[in-house]
Amino acid sequence: MSEAGSTQPAERRLSLLVTVLAFALPVIFVLVPLAIFLGYSFFSVDQGTIVYGLSLGNYVRFFTDPVFLPVFWNTIVLCVSVAIICILLAYPAAYFLTTLKGRWRYALLMLLLVPLLMSYVIKIYAIRSILGLNGFLNKALVALGILQEPSTLFVFNMNAILLTLTLLLIPFAILPIFLSLERIPQVLLRASDDLGASGLQTFLRITLPLSLPGVASAASFVFVLAIGDFLTPQMVGGISGFTFGRILYSQFGTAYNWPFGAALSVALAIVVIAAILVGERFGRNRGTSV
Amino acid sequence: MNQNTDLLTLRSVSKSYGTVPVLHDIDLSIRDGEFLTVLGPSGSGKTTVLRLIGGLEPLTSGEIRLDGQDISRMPINRRPFNTVFQDYALFPHLTVSGNVGYGLSVRHIQRKEIARRVAEALDLVQLGRFADRFPAQLSGGQRQRVALARALICQPRLILLDEPLAALDLELRRQMQVFLKSIQREIKTTFLFVTHDQEEAIGMADRICVMEAGHIRQLGTPHDLYYKPNCEFVARFFGENNLVAGKLGAVQGELRSIETALGRLVCSISDQPHLKAAAEGASAYAAFRPEALHLADAKDTDNRFSGTISDMAFAGSSTVATITAGADNAAQRLRLRVPSRVDGSALKSGEAVSLSFAPHEGHLVLA
Repeated sequence: MSEAGSTQPAERRLSLLVTVLAFALPVIFVLVPLAIFLGYSFFSVDQGTIVYGLSLGNYVRFFTDPVFLPVFWNTIVLCVSVAIICILLAYPAAYFLTTLKGRWRYALLMLLLVPLLMSYVIKIYAIRSILGLNGFLNKALVALGILQEPSTLFVFNMNAILLTLTLLLIPFAILPIFLSLERIPQVLLRASDDLGASGLQTFLRITLPLSLPGVASAASFVFVLAIGDFLTPQMVGGISGFTFGRILYSQFGTAYNWPFGAALSVALAIVVIAAILVGERFGRNRGTSV
Repeated sequence: MNQNTDLLTLRSVSKSYGTVPVLHDIDLSIRDGEFLTVLGPSGSGKTTVLRLIGGLEPLTSGEIRLDGQDISRMPINRRPFNTVFQDYALFPHLTVSGNVGYGLSVRHIQRKEIARRVAEALDLVQLGRFADRFPAQLSGGQRQRVALARALICQPRLILLDEPLAALDLELRRQMQVFLKSIQREIKTTFLFVTHDQEEAIGMADRICVMEAGHIRQLGTPHDLYYKPNCEFVARFFGENNLVAGKLGAVQGELRSIETALGRLVCSISDQPHLKAAAEGASAYAAFRPEALHLADAKDTDNRFSGTISDMAFAGSSTVATITAGADNAAQRLRLRVPSRVDGSALKSGEAVSLSFAPHEGHLVLA
């Protein structure tokens, strides 16, 4: 009893420490920086120095300047498109994976996820060389006779960004869809067969609705990652592929206007939070577990 | 619905998983309109029988005939059977009425017609008020009834039930047994019910098929299995038989004697020609129920032996005495069941008693 008494306070202190850390880390490293950002967005810049006086000037500029809103909107459209294309490509891939048995299933899944381990920049360079005017894609299309001569359709423009982001982010779509498909109990599919449904009916009425939570989280994952990306547009977008991320980047870099950059970040953060909430809302299963 | 015509026939059906055989040459006929229970311990192959009939798995060899037509290779969604799965397998994203109407809606039946039949089926299982709930909002017993309604709405020729009561607590299980049986009588559909619980089987079945290690050991009415088990497995599996090993003796009409450690016992062999035909000296068991055993009085001349009460166990309506009988080197443990009495049993632990059972209440089982 006395031994237990001596170890108990130490254990309690440890668990207290863990609890404090669990709350403190996100507060210090996530919430505090976000709050600082929010604060900065109300400051302004004069002659290259930050003026610490509160004003809504940055937000007024964002909404009134003819440059920012259209880019903001185009970027959202771009990222929604990326999310949709990723889902359309990832769903069949994930579905195919779940039809495989045992070891093959996970081996192939790992193979699909390997690109995540590679450097982001190197992947972008690789894709850039594929998409270029003399790149693999153009050469292949010409060789197949689909194009007469190399096309500039996907060279340093919005299309290039779309293709690159899709390629880069597809693993993030496959994983949640695969997991939600894998979680569907096989007996539900058998029950559907048993009740006379055809394979297509079982897919449309059972498999698809039950995997929608995974689709929703995949879509919000991809969207959030795409909209926050400035490096990809920078490297494959050229002059015409101008995205909100690039504007943001330039405010913190060349333009040296942190307060305005912070205001733009807040606008972006609102969209990101909205996307996560929407994903979460649809990610929850109606009627819940089996 | 004529209980004498066969609905479904299994002919030398075998099933192996890889190289592991789970069913050996099964022959089974299911009569139209009957409540047939397949009973066996886990690993006996009883669920496999159900899965083969339902089309959830292909046969390794043999054939399954429905009304004389071979349906062995008919795909699952064409078979006019529906299954009530062990853990119900309700669709979590559909409401109760969505679940129940599923089998109709995949057949493109008109909405109005579906709504009418769903309401009818829900009334039958007394769940009318729960039509708009989701499965997660129901209790185990309610889910069970949804699963039943979902299976019977398609008016299948046969309903397959895979240990559907296993997940319910005892009281609910008893209620559901009565409920299932009454529904089966009402809709007059053939039920094939798989269970490992012999009490459940006795309570509901018209006939019971006892399985062990991939073989059918005995098929018959609950009464037959209880009083005329044809093998040691059935005798032991069904209730608490006293089994005493011995060698068969002479046939005396409807009776036959057996030499055991308790002396010569005489048991009934009526309607069991294989016991009449068995060679003298063959190994066999005398089997008699604890409730058939009683304290001997002067009238009892047959099947009389003495023993010592080693334990008394009160079990509610009855009291079970454990008795050690026979010579020390071949002592037999027997059980005697007597009605409990408010003033305590007349029997005492440690007491020496003289016991007997009537010849027509004992029977023989070949070893």
